[in-house]
Amino acid sequence: MFTHVLLPTDGSKLSEETIRKGMGLARSMNARVTGLSVLPKLRYFNYESEIPAGIKDEAARKCRETAETHLAFVRKAAEEAGVICQTASEIDDQPYEAIIRTAEKRGCDLIMMASHGRRGVKGVLLGSETQKVLTHTKIPVLVYR
Amino acid sequence: MFTHLLLPTDGTHLSRAAIRKGMLLAKALNARLTAITVIPEEHHQLYQADITTQAKQETERHYRAEVERRLAAVHKEAGDAGVRCETLCERSDHPYEAIIAAAGKYNCDLIVMASHGRRGVTGLLIGSETQKVLTHSKIPVLVVR
Repeated sequence: MFTHVLLPTDGSKLSEETIRKGMGLARSMNARVTGLSVLPKLRYFNYESEIPAGIKDEAARKCRETAETHLAFVRKAAEEAGVICQTASEIDDQPYEAIIRTAEKRGCDLIMMASHGRRGVKGVLLGSETQKVLTHTKIPVLVYR
Repeated sequence: MFTHLLLPTDGTHLSRAAIRKGMLLAKALNARLTAITVIPEEHHQLYQADITTQAKQETERHYRAEVERRLAAVHKEAGDAGVRCETLCERSDHPYEAIIAAAGKYNCDLIVMASHGRRGVTGLLIGSETQKVLTHSKIPVLVVR
Protein backbone atom coordinates (compact mmCIF):
# COMPACT_ATOMS: atom_id res chain seq x y z
CA MET A 1 0.00 0.00 0.00
CA PHE A 2 1.13 3.60 0.35
CA THR A 3 4.44 3.96 2.19
CA HIS A 4 5.24 7.65 2.15
CA VAL A 5 2.60 10.36 2.24
CA LEU A 6 3.27 13.99 1.39
CA LEU A 7 1.15 16.39 3.44
CA PRO A 8 1.32 19.94 2.10
CA THR A 9 -0.04 22.56 4.46
CA ASP A 10 -0.79 26.25 4.18
CA GLY A 11 -1.76 26.61 7.81
CA SER A 12 -5.48 26.90 7.10
CA LYS A 13 -8.05 25.14 9.25
CA LEU A 14 -8.88 22.66 6.48
CA SER A 15 -5.16 21.96 6.09
CA GLU A 16 -4.97 21.11 9.77
CA GLU A 17 -7.93 18.73 9.56
CA THR A 18 -6.33 17.15 6.49
CA ILE A 19 -3.05 16.71 8.36
CA ARG A 20 -4.79 15.02 11.27
CA LYS A 21 -6.67 12.67 8.98
CA GLY A 22 -3.48 12.08 7.01
CA MET A 23 -1.68 11.00 10.15
CA GLY A 24 -4.46 8.53 10.92
CA LEU A 25 -4.23 7.14 7.42
CA ALA A 26 -0.44 6.86 7.57
CA ARG A 27 -0.72 5.12 10.91
CA SER A 28 -3.19 2.55 9.53
CA MET A 29 -0.89 1.76 6.65
CA ASN A 30 2.38 1.94 8.58
CA ALA A 31 3.49 4.71 6.27
CA ARG A 32 5.74 7.67 7.01
CA VAL A 33 4.92 11.25 6.21
CA THR A 34 6.61 14.41 5.03
CA GLY A 35 4.97 17.70 5.92
CA LEU A 36 5.54 20.52 3.46
CA SER A 37 5.02 24.23 3.82
CA VAL A 38 5.14 26.31 0.65
CA LEU A 39 5.23 30.05 0.92
CA PRO A 40 5.24 32.50 -1.96
CA LYS A 41 8.29 34.55 -2.82
CA LEU A 42 8.15 37.80 -0.98
CA ARG A 43 7.29 40.79 -3.08
CA TYR A 44 7.45 44.27 -1.74
CA PHE A 45 7.13 46.90 -4.33
CA ASN A 46 8.32 47.21 -7.88
CA TYR A 47 11.50 48.88 -6.89
CA GLU A 48 13.17 46.40 -4.57
CA SER A 49 16.36 48.36 -4.39
CA GLU A 50 14.50 51.10 -2.51
CA ILE A 51 13.43 48.86 0.36
CA PRO A 52 15.65 49.25 3.39
CA ALA A 53 17.55 46.03 4.08
CA GLY A 54 16.09 45.87 7.60
CA ILE A 55 12.53 45.54 6.37
CA LYS A 56 13.43 42.81 3.89
CA ASP A 57 15.17 40.82 6.62
CA GLU A 58 12.21 41.32 8.93
CA ALA A 59 9.81 40.05 6.29
CA ALA A 60 12.02 37.06 5.48
CA ARG A 61 12.19 36.22 9.15
CA LYS A 62 8.40 36.40 9.51
CA CYS A 63 8.12 34.12 6.51
CA ARG A 64 10.40 31.53 8.08
CA GLU A 65 8.44 31.77 11.33
CA THR A 66 5.16 31.18 9.56
CA ALA A 67 6.51 28.09 7.82
CA GLU A 68 7.89 26.89 11.12
CA THR A 69 4.50 27.30 12.83
CA HIS A 70 2.77 25.29 10.13
CA LEU A 71 5.39 22.55 10.27
CA ALA A 72 5.38 22.45 14.07
CA PHE A 73 1.70 21.57 13.83
CA VAL A 74 2.53 18.72 11.47
CA ARG A 75 5.27 17.39 13.72
CA LYS A 76 3.02 17.50 16.76
CA ALA A 77 0.22 15.68 14.93
CA ALA A 78 2.73 13.02 13.81
CA GLU A 79 4.03 12.55 17.32
CA GLU A 80 0.50 12.16 18.69
CA ALA A 81 -0.30 9.60 16.01
CA GLY A 82 3.00 7.74 16.35
CA VAL A 83 3.97 8.34 12.75
CA ILE A 84 7.51 8.91 11.44
CA CYS A 85 7.62 12.42 10.11
CA GLN A 86 9.97 14.71 8.26
CA THR A 87 9.27 18.28 7.32
CA ALA A 88 10.34 20.59 4.54
CA SER A 89 9.66 24.14 3.57
CA GLU A 90 9.87 25.73 0.16
CA ILE A 91 9.50 29.16 -1.27
CA ASP A 92 7.75 29.14 -4.60
CA ASP A 93 5.19 31.30 -6.36
CA GLN A 94 3.70 28.12 -7.79
CA PRO A 95 2.93 25.98 -4.76
CA TYR A 96 1.77 23.10 -6.92
CA GLU A 97 5.22 22.88 -8.52
CA ALA A 98 6.97 22.78 -5.14
CA ILE A 99 4.52 20.14 -3.95
CA ILE A 100 5.06 17.86 -6.93
CA ARG A 101 8.83 18.43 -6.94
CA THR A 102 9.07 17.55 -3.25
CA ALA A 103 6.89 14.46 -3.63
CA GLU A 104 9.03 13.18 -6.48
CA LYS A 105 12.35 14.05 -4.88
CA ARG A 106 11.42 12.31 -1.64
CA GLY A 107 9.79 9.28 -3.20
CA CYS A 108 6.29 9.93 -1.89
CA ASP A 109 3.67 7.56 -3.28
CA LEU A 110 0.66 9.56 -2.13
CA ILE A 111 -0.08 13.26 -1.85
CA MET A 112 -2.89 14.12 0.54
CA MET A 113 -4.11 17.68 0.52
CA ALA A 114 -7.12 19.81 1.33
CA SER A 115 -9.65 20.59 -1.39
CA HIS A 116 -9.26 24.27 -0.61
CA GLY A 117 -6.62 26.47 0.89
CA ARG A 118 -6.28 29.85 2.49
CA ARG A 119 -8.50 31.56 -0.02
CA GLY A 120 -11.32 29.33 1.17
CA VAL A 121 -14.42 28.05 -0.49
CA LYS A 122 -15.84 31.31 -1.76
CA GLY A 123 -17.29 30.44 -5.12
CA VAL A 124 -14.51 28.01 -5.95
CA LEU A 125 -15.52 24.38 -6.06
CA LEU A 126 -11.97 23.07 -5.98
CA GLY A 127 -8.95 25.09 -4.87
CA SER A 128 -6.60 26.21 -7.63
CA GLU A 129 -3.38 24.72 -6.24
CA THR A 130 -5.07 21.41 -5.51
CA GLN A 131 -6.45 21.40 -9.04
CA LYS A 132 -3.00 22.07 -10.47
CA VAL A 133 -1.36 19.32 -8.41
CA LEU A 134 -4.02 16.89 -9.65
CA THR A 135 -3.52 17.70 -13.27
CA HIS A 136 0.26 17.70 -13.27
CA THR A 137 1.34 14.67 -11.28
CA LYS A 138 1.23 10.93 -11.84
CA ILE A 139 1.32 10.33 -8.10
CA PRO A 140 -2.08 9.44 -6.57
CA VAL A 141 -3.69 12.45 -4.89
CA LEU A 142 -6.21 12.22 -2.08
CA VAL A 143 -8.30 15.37 -2.00
CA TYR A 144 -9.65 15.85 1.48
CA ARG A 145 -12.77 17.80 2.35
CA MET B 1 -10.31 6.40 9.54
CA PHE B 2 -12.04 5.67 6.25
CA THR B 3 -14.58 2.92 6.76
CA HIS B 4 -16.44 2.57 3.49
CA LEU B 5 -14.83 3.10 0.10
CA LEU B 6 -16.76 3.69 -3.10
CA LEU B 7 -15.02 2.48 -6.26
CA PRO B 8 -16.50 3.75 -9.52
CA THR B 9 -15.56 1.72 -12.60
CA ASP B 10 -16.32 2.09 -16.28
CA GLY B 11 -14.66 -1.16 -17.25
CA THR B 12 -11.54 0.37 -18.80
CA HIS B 13 -8.09 -0.81 -17.79
CA LEU B 14 -7.45 2.51 -16.04
CA SER B 15 -10.50 1.91 -13.91
CA ARG B 16 -9.27 -1.54 -13.05
CA ALA B 17 -5.93 -0.20 -11.84
CA ALA B 18 -7.79 2.24 -9.60
CA ILE B 19 -10.04 -0.55 -8.33
CA ARG B 20 -7.00 -2.65 -7.48
CA LYS B 21 -5.51 0.24 -5.51
CA GLY B 22 -8.81 0.89 -3.79
CA MET B 23 -9.10 -2.73 -2.74
CA LEU B 24 -5.58 -2.80 -1.28
CA LEU B 25 -6.36 0.37 0.63
CA ALA B 26 -9.63 -1.05 1.96
CA LYS B 27 -7.77 -4.15 3.07
CA ALA B 28 -5.13 -2.09 4.89
CA LEU B 29 -7.83 -0.01 6.59
CA ASN B 30 -10.28 -2.85 7.23
CA ALA B 31 -12.86 -0.84 5.36
CA ARG B 32 -15.98 -1.89 3.46
CA LEU B 33 -15.99 -1.72 -0.31
CA THR B 34 -18.70 -0.88 -2.80
CA ALA B 35 -17.98 -0.77 -6.52
CA ILE B 36 -20.32 1.13 -8.81
CA THR B 37 -20.70 1.24 -12.56
CA VAL B 38 -22.96 3.63 -14.43
CA ILE B 39 -24.68 3.08 -17.76
CA PRO B 40 -26.76 5.60 -19.72
CA GLU B 41 -30.47 6.03 -19.07
CA GLU B 42 -33.01 4.40 -21.32
CA HIS B 43 -33.76 6.60 -24.25
CA HIS B 44 -36.96 6.19 -26.15
CA GLN B 45 -36.35 8.69 -28.84
CA LEU B 46 -33.52 9.52 -31.13
CA TYR B 47 -33.79 12.64 -33.24
CA GLN B 48 -37.55 12.74 -32.69
CA ALA B 49 -38.07 9.28 -34.16
CA ASP B 50 -39.18 6.51 -31.87
CA ILE B 51 -36.65 3.76 -31.42
CA THR B 52 -38.03 0.41 -32.55
CA THR B 53 -38.69 -2.17 -29.89
CA GLN B 54 -36.06 -4.38 -31.43
CA ALA B 55 -33.42 -1.68 -31.30
CA LYS B 56 -34.34 -0.97 -27.68
CA GLN B 57 -34.00 -4.63 -26.76
CA GLU B 58 -30.69 -4.83 -28.60
CA THR B 59 -29.37 -1.85 -26.65
CA GLU B 60 -30.57 -3.17 -23.31
CA ARG B 61 -29.01 -6.54 -24.04
CA HIS B 62 -25.74 -4.83 -24.86
CA TYR B 63 -25.80 -2.83 -21.64
CA ARG B 64 -26.63 -5.86 -19.54
CA ALA B 65 -23.67 -7.74 -21.01
CA GLU B 66 -21.41 -4.73 -20.47
CA VAL B 67 -22.46 -4.38 -16.82
CA GLU B 68 -21.93 -8.14 -16.36
CA ARG B 69 -18.43 -7.79 -17.76
CA ARG B 70 -17.51 -4.80 -15.62
CA LEU B 71 -18.82 -6.25 -12.38
CA ALA B 72 -17.29 -9.67 -13.08
CA ALA B 73 -13.94 -7.89 -13.40
CA VAL B 74 -14.53 -6.24 -10.02
CA HIS B 75 -15.35 -9.56 -8.36
CA LYS B 76 -12.20 -11.04 -9.83
CA GLU B 77 -10.08 -8.19 -8.45
CA ALA B 78 -11.77 -8.62 -5.08
CA GLY B 79 -11.05 -12.33 -5.13
CA ASP B 80 -7.41 -11.71 -6.00
CA ALA B 81 -7.09 -9.12 -3.25
CA GLY B 82 -8.92 -11.26 -0.72
CA VAL B 83 -11.56 -8.63 0.05
CA ARG B 84 -15.34 -8.51 0.07
CA CYS B 85 -16.90 -6.07 -2.31
CA GLU B 86 -20.51 -5.14 -2.96
CA THR B 87 -21.39 -4.05 -6.48
CA LEU B 88 -23.92 -1.60 -7.85
CA CYS B 89 -25.14 -0.54 -11.23
CA GLU B 90 -26.90 2.75 -11.77
CA ARG B 91 -28.40 4.37 -14.82
CA SER B 92 -27.57 7.97 -15.48
CA ASP B 93 -26.50 10.15 -18.35
CA HIS B 94 -24.25 11.93 -15.89
CA PRO B 95 -22.05 9.34 -14.18
CA TYR B 96 -20.66 11.82 -11.67
CA GLU B 97 -24.15 12.47 -10.33
CA ALA B 98 -24.84 8.77 -9.82
CA ILE B 99 -21.47 8.31 -8.16
CA ILE B 100 -21.98 11.15 -5.71
CA ALA B 101 -25.56 10.06 -5.00
CA ALA B 102 -24.37 6.51 -4.27
CA ALA B 103 -21.66 7.81 -1.95
CA GLY B 104 -24.33 9.64 0.03
CA LYS B 105 -26.91 6.87 -0.04
CA TYR B 106 -24.48 4.20 1.14
CA ASN B 107 -22.59 6.38 3.60
CA CYS B 108 -19.25 6.05 1.90
CA ASP B 109 -16.47 8.20 3.31
CA LEU B 110 -13.94 7.98 0.47
CA ILE B 111 -14.25 7.71 -3.31
CA VAL B 112 -11.34 6.06 -5.14
CA MET B 113 -11.32 6.55 -8.87
CA ALA B 114 -9.10 6.68 -11.93
CA SER B 115 -7.99 10.01 -13.34
CA HIS B 116 -9.33 9.06 -16.76
CA GLY B 117 -11.94 6.71 -18.17
CA ARG B 118 -13.52 5.62 -21.40
CA ARG B 119 -12.52 8.58 -23.45
CA GLY B 120 -8.92 8.05 -22.51
CA VAL B 121 -6.10 10.44 -21.90
CA THR B 122 -6.11 12.28 -25.23
CA GLY B 123 -5.66 15.94 -24.56
CA LEU B 124 -7.33 15.89 -21.16
CA LEU B 125 -5.19 16.31 -18.10
CA ILE B 126 -7.94 14.85 -15.99
CA GLY B 127 -11.02 12.99 -17.17
CA SER B 128 -14.29 14.90 -17.29
CA GLU B 129 -16.31 12.65 -14.97
CA THR B 130 -13.46 12.48 -12.45
CA GLN B 131 -13.20 16.25 -12.60
CA LYS B 132 -16.93 16.60 -11.93
CA VAL B 133 -16.82 14.16 -9.02
CA LEU B 134 -13.91 16.13 -7.58
CA THR B 135 -15.67 19.45 -7.84
CA HIS B 136 -19.04 18.29 -6.52
CA SER B 137 -18.19 15.60 -3.99
CA LYS B 138 -18.79 16.37 -0.34
CA ILE B 139 -16.44 13.58 0.71
CA PRO B 140 -12.72 13.00 0.06
CA VAL B 141 -11.68 11.64 -3.33
CA LEU B 142 -8.51 9.66 -4.07
CA VAL B 143 -7.46 10.06 -7.70
CA VAL B 144 -5.32 7.26 -9.05
CA ARG B 145 -3.33 7.37 -12.28
